[in-house]
Amino acid sequence: MLRALGSQHLAEPLSSLLDTPMQPTATIHRLKAAGAPPRLSAFAQRADRHFKWLLVAPAVLLILALSIYPLLFSLVVSFINYDFQVPGHAFVGLKNFERVVFDPVARWSLLLTAWLSGISVAIEFVLGLLVALTMVRSFPGRGVIMSILIVPLFISPVIVGQAWTLLLQRPFGPTNYILTQLLGQEVTIGWMTERPWLYVSLIIADVWQWTPFMFVILLAGLTAIPPNLYEAAELDGVNAWQVFWAITLPHLGPMMLLALTFRLLDAIRMFDTIFIMTGGGPGTQTYTASYYLYTVGFTQFHLSQATAGSWLFLIFTALIVALLVRRLLKVDPV
Amino acid sequence: MAEVRITGLHKRYGAFHAVRGIDLHIRDGEFTVLVGPSGCGKSTLLRTIAGLEESSQGTIEIGGEVVNDFRPRDRDVAMVFQDYALYPHMSVAKNIGFGLKARKMPKPEVEMRVAEAARMLGITPLLGRFPRQLSGGQRQRVAIGRAIVRNPRIFLFDEPLSNLDAQLRDEMRGEIKRLHQDIATTMIYVTHDQIEAMTLADRIVLMRDGLIEQQGAPLELFERPASTFVAGFLGSPRMSFLPGTLALEGSTAAIRLADALLPLAPGRGLQDVADGQKVLLGLRPEHLTRAHTATPAQGTFRYEATIDLLQPTGSRSYATFRLAGAPVMAELQAHDVSRPGEKLAIDINMKRASIFDATTERAL
Amino acid sequence: MAAVAPARRRKRRSLPIGRILLLGFFLVFVLWPLYWMFNTSIKPSDDYLTVPPVWFPAEPTLVHYEAALFTYRGLDGLINSLIISLSATVLSALFGTLMAYSLARYNTGGRHLSFWVLSQRFLPPIGIVLPVFLIYRGVGLYDTHIGLIIAYTVFTLPVSVWMMFAYFRGMPKSMEEAALVDGCTRWEAFWRVAVPLAAPGIVAAAVFAFIACWTEFFFALILTSRTAFTLPTVFRAFIGFQGAQYGEAAALAIVSLVPSIALGVLAQRHLVRGLTLGAVRG
Repeated sequence: MLRALGSQHLAEPLSSLLDTPMQPTATIHRLKAAGAPPRLSAFAQRADRHFKWLLVAPAVLLILALSIYPLLFSLVVSFINYDFQVPGHAFVGLKNFERVVFDPVARWSLLLTAWLSGISVAIEFVLGLLVALTMVRSFPGRGVIMSILIVPLFISPVIVGQAWTLLLQRPFGPTNYILTQLLGQEVTIGWMTERPWLYVSLIIADVWQWTPFMFVILLAGLTAIPPNLYEAAELDGVNAWQVFWAITLPHLGPMMLLALTFRLLDAIRMFDTIFIMTGGGPGTQTYTASYYLYTVGFTQFHLSQATAGSWLFLIFTALIVALLVRRLLKVDPV
Repeated sequence: MAEVRITGLHKRYGAFHAVRGIDLHIRDGEFTVLVGPSGCGKSTLLRTIAGLEESSQGTIEIGGEVVNDFRPRDRDVAMVFQDYALYPHMSVAKNIGFGLKARKMPKPEVEMRVAEAARMLGITPLLGRFPRQLSGGQRQRVAIGRAIVRNPRIFLFDEPLSNLDAQLRDEMRGEIKRLHQDIATTMIYVTHDQIEAMTLADRIVLMRDGLIEQQGAPLELFERPASTFVAGFLGSPRMSFLPGTLALEGSTAAIRLADALLPLAPGRGLQDVADGQKVLLGLRPEHLTRAHTATPAQGTFRYEATIDLLQPTGSRSYATFRLAGAPVMAELQAHDVSRPGEKLAIDINMKRASIFDATTERAL
Repeated sequence: MAAVAPARRRKRRSLPIGRILLLGFFLVFVLWPLYWMFNTSIKPSDDYLTVPPVWFPAEPTLVHYEAALFTYRGLDGLINSLIISLSATVLSALFGTLMAYSLARYNTGGRHLSFWVLSQRFLPPIGIVLPVFLIYRGVGLYDTHIGLIIAYTVFTLPVSVWMMFAYFRGMPKSMEEAALVDGCTRWEAFWRVAVPLAAPGIVAAAVFAFIACWTEFFFALILTSRTAFTLPTVFRAFIGFQGAQYGEAAALAIVSLVPSIALGVLAQRHLVRGLTLGAVRG
C-alpha cells in the first residue's frame, strides 16, 4: 500500500507515449483576461500574512501545554513538599534534591543505568554492524530476512520483557533445559533472581529489541558508500580488512555516531522490561534511574523528591542532547 | 498587458546581497531577457517580480501600480518554471484549469478555456494524461498552457529550456518566440544562455553581481558592448582580447600592441582618452577574414598569421593564431584554410573592433 | 570479463560461510522468543511444566486467548489502545505536517524552533510524566481517553514534525510556487498541492506515530487506571505470576503485536527515516 503510494508520481513505463510526435501549435490568440483572483476577506488576508505561525501554532501550543508547562510545574513541585496526605505545600528549598543526591539507592540506580545501557548499546552496535555487513550485498531471500530482522522494533518493550520472561523464568522457561542439553551438565540458573544473571537477562532483552535499530541505520550507511570505492580498492588488490578500515569505517563514521547517540539516549530510559521482568528486584538490584524515580513517586508517593530527582536526570540528558544531537542533525536554516 | 517599472531594487539574504540596486523599465508587450552568469541575481529579480521573494528595498510597479505588498496571486502574472512545476497529481486539463479554478470561475467556462488553450497548443489529445506521462516538450507546452489560459498581464519564464536536450531546445525556443509574436504580452525571460537571449529578446538586460551591466537591443549589445564582460558574454566563440596601449597623434589614433601598430578608423570617436593609455582591443572571430586583395581595404589591418589551431565546423573553420603574443580566433571560410601551421594573410576589420580601458574594462 | 572473474570468485569464497552462520544465528535469536510465545499461547496448561518442554502442543487450544481478552480485560485494553492510538496518530500527523511545512518552507523560528521540537524527543519521559500526572489529576484528565490522546499526540509530535520536515525539504518547492502565482493563497498551495504530493510521507509518519502509541507503556501506566488503560498495561496483571497465567500473557502478547508488526513491515521503506527522525534517507 505504501509502496504504491510512494511510486505513484514517479515511475510509469510509458515510453511509447513519449514518442508520439507533437502536433504543431496553431496560431495563439489571446483569451479574455481572467484577471486576478477575487479579493481575500479581511480574515483570509490576516491568515495568509501569519500563515507560517498559524501552521506551527497547534503543535507548539500542545508541546508548551504538555511538556514545557509540566516541566516548570515540576520545578516548583521539586522545591516544595508536595504530599497527598499532608495539606499545605511548604517551601523546603533544596531538601528534595538533597534527599535524592544522598540516597544510596539513587546513586546505585544511576550507576546501574550507565552500566546496563552502556553494555547493551555496545553489544547492539557490534552485532548490528556485523549483521549489516552481511546484508549489504544482495542475495536471494534478502528481502524476507530483512522483514524478519526488523520485527522487534515494532513490538512493545512490555511484550519483549514478557517474551523473555516466558523463556527464562523458572520453572516454566525452557532455557535451562536447552543449556543442560547443550552443555551436557545440569544448568539451574535463576535468570530473573540471581546476580549476575538478572542483568544478563535484561541485557539480552534489550539487545534483542534494539540490535535491529543499529542494523537498519548502519545498513543504510553502508549502502550509501559509493560502490566505485570498493571497485577501485579491489583493482588495487587491497584485502578485506584494509578495505573495512580504509573505506567502510571512515564513511560510516557519522552514521555510527548518530546510531549510538540515538540509541544511548533511549537506553538510559530503560524501564518497561525491568517493570515486567524483575520489578526492580530482588530488592533494589535492578533499579534503573527511571525505575527508581517511578518507585519514589508512585509507590512511596514522595512526589516532590521524585520530581527533584527527575530534574537532575533531565539536566543530565539535556547535556547529552545539546552536545551531541544538535551536531549530528545539523539543524541548519535553508 | 502591462508595463513593468522597477526602481532602486535591492534583495538581501542575510549577509548575501543578491540584487544591488536595479532600475529597469520594461515596456508593454516587450520581450525582455534577463541574462547573465549563475549567481548574477537574474532569477532573484524575476522571482521578486512574481512576488515569490520580497524585495529588501525599492519598488516594483506593474501596470502603473506598486505591487510590492501584493501576494503573488494578486499580481496577475504567470510563470513558467525551469522544471515546469506541473502538478503531478492532476491531469493536464486540471493543471491548465487550476489557476482559473482558484479564481472561482464557473466550471463550464473553465472547460471552454482549457479546451481552447489546448487546441491552440496542439495538446488536446493529452488533456486526460498526467504530467509523468508527458515528454519534456509536451510538459513545456502544458506549462505555457497554464499561463495563456488566464491571459495574465505578464509572462515570466525562469530558464524554461534548460532541462531539454539540444534539439528540442531549439524547437521550443522557436515556439516561445512565436507565442510572443502571436499574443504580444509583456514577457520577462531569465536564462544564462546567450543564444536564447540573442534570439528571443526585444531587449537584453545583462546582469552581473546583482547589477545591470548593460541593457538594450540584442544587436546593440552585441556590436557596442559596454564592457569586456558584455563583449565576452555575448557571441560564440568568444571575443578575443588583446592588451595594448593607445597611440594618439593629432587626429589619428592607433593601438600599439607588442610588435604591431594597428591604426583605428578615422571617424572613431574616442573620448577622454590619453596617449599611452592601457587598453584592451576586442576582436570577434567574424571581424577577421582571409585577405583576398593585394592591398588591405580602408580601415583594415593586415597581419601575417601562422595558424596554431584549427577547428572546422563544416562551412566555417575557427582558426587560432597569435597576434602580439595573445591568442586570437578568426572565423574563416572552410576552404580558406587547410591545416595548422599554415601561414595566412588575415585582414582585421578595425572599424568593428571594440576598445576597452584595460583597468575599468569599460568601452572607450 | 576475464579480468573481473577472479575477483568475483574470491569474494564468493570469503563471504558465504561466515555470512550464513551469522545470519542464521541472528534469525534464530530473533524468531525464537516469538515462536516460544506463540507456542505458549496455544499450549494447554497441563503442558507448562513438563520435562522436556513441549516444543509444539499436540492439542493446541485457544482458551488462553479467550481468558486474556475477557477475564483479564484484554479486549477493553485493545479497544482503548485502538481509540487512543488512532486519535493520537491522526492529530500528530496533522499537527506535525502543519508545523513541518512551516519549518521547511518558511524557516519559521529559525533553527531554534526546529531544534526545540527535536529536543522534546529526547527528554526522559519520567521527567514529564510526574508533573503531567499531577496536572491531570487536577483538571480531571487522569484515566481518560482524551488525556492519554493528548499525551500521546505530544509525545509523537517531534518524530512526526521531523520526519515531515525532512520530507518537505526533499520536495521541490516550485510546484507550490506555481500554485501561488496561479492564484492560490499560501494555505491553498499547501493544502491542494504540497499535501497531496507529501501523502506518502504523511502516511509513513502516521504509521510510525501509530506504532509508537500502540507500544507505549510508561505514560499509560501512570496516566491511566481502570478506564482508559491500554493494551500494554494489561500485562501488569501477569507480573509476578507463579505458573498460572503463562498462556494468557502469551496470547495477549500475540494479539497486540500483530497490528504494529504488520504496519511496521509494510512501511519498512521509510524505516530509516523513521528511526533517525528524517536525518538519514533510507
